[in-house]
Amino acid sequence: MEVLLFGMIAEKAGSPTLQVDADSLEALRTQLVERIPALRGMRYAIAVDRQVVTTDHALTGTEEIAVLPPFAGG
Amino acid sequence: MSDAKPHKVKDIFVEGAIPPSFIAESIAKHATRTDIGAHEIFLGQVRADVIGGAGDVNAARTAAIEYTAYREMALERMTIIREQAFAKWPAMTCLHVHHSLGVIKAGELCFMVFASAPHRQQAREAVAWVVDRIKSELPIFGREILSDATHIWKTNL
Repeated sequence: MEVLLFGMIAEKAGSPTLQVDADSLEALRTQLVERIPALRGMRYAIAVDRQVVTTDHALTGTEEIAVLPPFAGG
Repeated sequence: MSDAKPHKVKDIFVEGAIPPSFIAESIAKHATRTDIGAHEIFLGQVRADVIGGAGDVNAARTAAIEYTAYREMALERMTIIREQAFAKWPAMTCLHVHHSLGVIKAGELCFMVFASAPHRQQAREAVAWVVDRIKSELPIFGREILSDATHIWKTNL
């Protein structure tokens, strides 16, 4: 699945997207920190289908997943 | 979105700074709505923060902020915030929100929340509430470009 990256996280990853293969949010988190080591110690949120999610759940691969650094609007 | 609860998703994003003349025009557009008795407007301006050494004349300053957003999520969140605002302040006549994307220089306007209502209290309360919700919930990101050509990432906490 393709994960959307934004702001500081896209900068650290060197790309606005990342291909991962994860069947749960926890598996996704594990892969994210492996692929983008700068995420360790960084505050970020994961959005599934444009909603921030905090608890683990299964991913089917059809969801729209985004990794979001701290918001800075206004 | 279901047919049972249709709601229009308005695009709040504008490319570049918000010109002061746009705000004047926005006010002028309400002249025909004579049920309005109060306008409340919040404007966000890019501030030239001193980064690092306070009092250091050579300290870098914020020269501009480059805004990006996760547009689809931001607009979905904004639609919910808008609906909640009208539920909380049903007397509110209208609510307009604009946020800049792209490079906005220090001193330029990047954010506008404009509420109108028959009386000032609803408009005031709604604007303060909507501004806070937007700052904490909309996935908008800011790269602060400093006067020494380095950059840092703005965060709202």
